Amino acid sequence: MSEIKAELFKRLSDAVVDMDEDKAVAAASEVVERGVDAYQAIERGLSAGMERAGQLFDEEEYFIPELLMCSDAMYAGMDVLKPHLRTDGVAEKHKVVIGVVQGDTHDIGKNLVKIMLETSGFEVTDLGRDIPPDRFVETAKEIGASIIALSTLMTTTMEGMGAVVQQLSAEGIRDRFKVIVGGGPISQGFADRIGADGYAVNAADAIRLARSLVGQGATA
Amino acid sequence: MRRDQMTPHERLTAYAAGAPVDRFPCVPIVGNTAARVIGAKVGDFRGNGALIAEAQVASYRLFGYDIIRIFTDLYTQAEAMGATVCYPEDETAYLAAPAVADLSELERLRPADPYRDGNLPQHLEAMRRAVDAVGKEVAVTGAVTCPFTNASFLVGADRLARLMMRSPEAVHRLCGLSLETNLAYAGAIIDAGCTPSLTDAMSSMSVISPRQFREFSFPYLKRLIDYIHGRGKAVTLHICGKTAGIWDAMVEAGADCLSIDNDADLAEARVAVGDRVRLMGNVHPSEVMLQGTPETVRAATRACIKQAKDNPKGFIVASGCSLPTETPFANIHAMLDTVREAGWPAAV
Repeated sequence: MSEIKAELFKRLSDAVVDMDEDKAVAAASEVVERGVDAYQAIERGLSAGMERAGQLFDEEEYFIPELLMCSDAMYAGMDVLKPHLRTDGVAEKHKVVIGVVQGDTHDIGKNLVKIMLETSGFEVTDLGRDIPPDRFVETAKEIGASIIALSTLMTTTMEGMGAVVQQLSAEGIRDRFKVIVGGGPISQGFADRIGADGYAVNAADAIRLARSLVGQGATA
Repeated sequence: MRRDQMTPHERLTAYAAGAPVDRFPCVPIVGNTAARVIGAKVGDFRGNGALIAEAQVASYRLFGYDIIRIFTDLYTQAEAMGATVCYPEDETAYLAAPAVADLSELERLRPADPYRDGNLPQHLEAMRRAVDAVGKEVAVTGAVTCPFTNASFLVGADRLARLMMRSPEAVHRLCGLSLETNLAYAGAIIDAGCTPSLTDAMSSMSVISPRQFREFSFPYLKRLIDYIHGRGKAVTLHICGKTAGIWDAMVEAGADCLSIDNDADLAEARVAVGDRVRLMGNVHPSEVMLQGTPETVRAATRACIKQAKDNPKGFIVASGCSLPTETPFANIHAMLDTVREAGWPAAV
């Protein structure tokens, strides 16, 4: 890797960690001007920065406000780079449907998992919040998702997660999807009880879980 | 089964004075589970103070715990300031939309009048009725959602988080407005014969850093607690999730009792701040109370007693957070029964 490329990737990564949208856009524009591969710039620059931010979150150096600002910088750089992605030769990504279950509108946790999944190379369809079980199932079928990711912060809405698993079973398509769950009141015991494929305690853990469920890499 | 020998009032008064009691005070934090006690639908609590009081009093009589808390959801004050709350027929209400969709609307926000706005008058009605019914034997508290958390419901949690970095003065303005609502509501709660019970979900280290807590939450929380103290009431403060890094600040803000969430360590809290504040907690509301059996509840309750029974400033056996609506009655009874069996000083 040339020194210029390495320096650009570092600038992208630093811009994300420093929560600096302007720097991210400037570095991304330079990537484009110099004809550096946009896919590599995302992976080794922006995504690498988001991964560092995730580590800082694990170490309680960063908290949710910082992570959100990091992700804003990442997406600002991404917007510049995306039009320059070559579509050929890039392996197809595993798809994830994510959302907050019906009756709950707390979505910060879900948003973080979504960001980290995208950072890790998954293609994520975000249904948003307050989502009934059948919409998860319908969307997963429609886009050919590998994973359905369910989030809730409320004990009152936990049972909606079980309803998604039950509907998949009722339609005879349970084995086509991996169902993962997370959020404040959720535990491994709860995940086992409703027949989910996995539980993640935080965003970083959700990425490890998603990766392990689809095989090592994020690409199909 | 051992029966209670004291009323909750007698027990808590004696306990505070260091006199002997029949058992540890015990508070499974019952919210909308009270609807199940009288066979009502959770949605029927909306705008119906009489029904909230009936359910909470019936629940207290059924289980025999030590504090009644008038609480249906966290959004009552934000709703009274213009947030949109969704009320499912038979589940806990949730925030459908914050009070302002755009920062330019900030100017429009006004503090709520607890005697006029939203469902606050009906919550006050519930408090007055509960006090009338059982106030002589048990303390009735009214839930107050603290400034920083209420501010997050005014603009949305994501936006508040970003504003902390991009426009701190806007966050201070929102917290200040929320504080004004809190002060008026806390005053009305005390006038109703109750004690404000403080909840501050978003001030958690699961969301913001201790430094951000200091800057954006602490100053307003302290003013609220100072006011309540000035009215002669002690303050219990619950912050959800991880809190170890802000226990000192919570104590410094003036809290007399910290309600420790199940995501924090009770034994650690005892060592860190137990010489300065009473502690309550922290049986897991969903994993143990909702999904567990009476046996797992007994084990978890005994474990909590073991961790904090020697707390210098006292201990209340409690759930780590509000109980889920469908918590089995048998599990709530099991928590109380375990505490009754342990007696005083607790043998566990």
